[in-house]
Amino acid sequence: MMALDESGRTAANHADPADPSRRRLLVGLLTAYTASLIPWALAQEVPDEQRGAFMALSAILVGRPSLDATQATRTYDALVANDARFPADAQALLALINERHIDPLQLQATLDNEHSPLAPLPRQIMRAWVLGVVGSGDSARCIAYESALNAVMVADVLKPPTYAYGSYGSWSGKPV
Amino acid sequence: MAAPASADIVVIGAGIVGALAARRLAQQGASVLILEAGPRLERARIVAAFRNSPLKGNWMAPYPPSPWAPHPIYVPKDNGYLVQAGPYPYPAEYIRAVGGTTWHWAAQAWRLVPNDVRIRSLYGVGVDWPLSYEELDPWYQEAEEILGVAGADNTGSPRQHPFPMAPVAEPWSMRRVRERLAPTYAVVANTVARNSRGYDGRPACVGNNSCQPICPVNAQYLGINAVESAEAAGAKVVPNAVVYRIEHDAKGRIAAVHYYAPDKSEHRVTGKTFILAANGIESPKLLLLSASSTYPNGLANRSGMVGRHLMDHPSTSLTFYADEELWLGRGPQSPSSINTLRDGAFRSRHAPYRLDFTNISQVLNVTNDLIREGVYGAEFEKQLRWRAARQINVKNVLEVLPNPDNRIALSSEKDAMGIPKPEAHYAIDDYTRRGAEVSKADFAKIAELMGGTGLRYSAEGHFANNQHITGTLSMGNDPASSVVDGFGRTHDHENLFVCGTGVMPTAATMNSTLTAVALALRTAEHILPAKQAHAATTHAGHEADRA
Repeated sequence: MMALDESGRTAANHADPADPSRRRLLVGLLTAYTASLIPWALAQEVPDEQRGAFMALSAILVGRPSLDATQATRTYDALVANDARFPADAQALLALINERHIDPLQLQATLDNEHSPLAPLPRQIMRAWVLGVVGSGDSARCIAYESALNAVMVADVLKPPTYAYGSYGSWSGKPV
Repeated sequence: MAAPASADIVVIGAGIVGALAARRLAQQGASVLILEAGPRLERARIVAAFRNSPLKGNWMAPYPPSPWAPHPIYVPKDNGYLVQAGPYPYPAEYIRAVGGTTWHWAAQAWRLVPNDVRIRSLYGVGVDWPLSYEELDPWYQEAEEILGVAGADNTGSPRQHPFPMAPVAEPWSMRRVRERLAPTYAVVANTVARNSRGYDGRPACVGNNSCQPICPVNAQYLGINAVESAEAAGAKVVPNAVVYRIEHDAKGRIAAVHYYAPDKSEHRVTGKTFILAANGIESPKLLLLSASSTYPNGLANRSGMVGRHLMDHPSTSLTFYADEELWLGRGPQSPSSINTLRDGAFRSRHAPYRLDFTNISQVLNVTNDLIREGVYGAEFEKQLRWRAARQINVKNVLEVLPNPDNRIALSSEKDAMGIPKPEAHYAIDDYTRRGAEVSKADFAKIAELMGGTGLRYSAEGHFANNQHITGTLSMGNDPASSVVDGFGRTHDHENLFVCGTGVMPTAATMNSTLTAVALALRTAEHILPAKQAHAATTHAGHEADRA
């Protein structure tokens, strides 16, 4: 069990969340172009540049207005555990997007066409966030299910399989 | 506690079929011992295993095989248990565990249509069954009352008595499909072992949409329900008992079965009557394994037909986007079908088929498609919702004719216990392929009526398998061309019976479990007639009616 400090926060979350030096860090990782893709990131806190690059990339790829910080930590840690080069690759990919103003919809095709060594990265990050799966084959791990973003994105209409939709027959009505 | 070493009835296989035969015999006062190769499973652990699995699209993932009783696994890679001899792959899936393969099934509990058992006489193809639909009818009824089957009367299978339950409430998606396909096609509610109300102590469905791999709430009848009811009737179950040989005496009667415990210690169990109910692959494997100097080709195999006539239901399919929001994934997975193509004069030329609509949530498939396509940014969520709301799939469920070349044999490869693995020889013939070709016109018409766009037919020449393992121990009146008689008794061994989908001489177009259960109940009655016919089973239904 994680130790709680006197204020009830976990040790891992000990730093003051309003610390402006942490807040500035993510802003500093973005250019005007990437900041325009994720304007909310200006208020996002990150503990270091590597996690900052991951958060920025994540935000660009999944296109959501906010990302859960706890799940981000869990996802990042799993991606690093899966591939020790992940932090450096993530920084390199963010730098590339910053530099060349690559549209998220063109990103995969661009990397594939250029045979970039970074080409697998967007899919790894997407799989982690939207499927809750990190790694592949025998080393694949599930890190999220109900909170995987593909469940969250349809949560107003569907429950994740194995969760009850509702009382008997509640599925007969028009969905939305 | 040591497992009993003898019983009146020894059943090999604790799946839905073996357990319900065992239950009926135990209710008549027989001592019954069920030997199951696999372990006991717990529902809650299966649910957790699915939620924690990185392979949500692979419903076998929550059912890892035990080392002593392996079953086929293909994802993330083939574990090599079911050896493929070709020419066409037969990647059958099943579960070796207490409760068997119906731990995960769609609970489609169809009857045959009457002409299914007479296709040789009527259409000049396949074989006739050694019994009529009318003879099966009361056994279907008994099976339906035990399982708790919900269904509608307009599916083409006549009946003398009402279904135990009204059809399960129709999901919105299927309502729209039914409305928009009428009057060109009649879309009907599937006949399912799923509760549309509280029944026999189990609750009504609450729409978890995970019938496969696991119903979390016990609203769907599973093999484990059958096992528990057999135990309640007095049957004993021995899990992790890997039967590897059936022993006969000098007169050709079965004297005992031999099993390994996981530590490979050897055990022998004697009995008066033996029922082999280990499924359409493991049952013939065991008969072939039990060859002796008297029966060099294996037990019950004077005809040479053990393992032959392997059948299943291959499917081709069409996936497309409807022009309105359907949102598959609300309610149970398999609610509706088109049944009008299951029979007709065309059966002399091509395979009949049922057309099956899925109501499985499309979110996972759509997510994988979008990631594969590299759709990122705000467009991802927009596309996910658009596609998950509109994507729909229809597949055919095609009949395969019995062909002795399609068979289960013993492989030269062995499993971890040193037991030869099963080996599948399989091909899909022109009769079935012609049926698939004809059904394409139905797929196209259905898409047109649903305003379909983005039509994606399954790859040409590719058939998905439905895990309805049929044949391999076919019943018939002629001992030269069949393995068991019309009551499931092996032609060669007076006290050895076979229960399971393997005894079905043809596969027809419906999921095979209910027919196998009905035949097994009939076999049980033949072995030991009920003191008061059907009393035990109708009781459950009437109790629930009062509830």
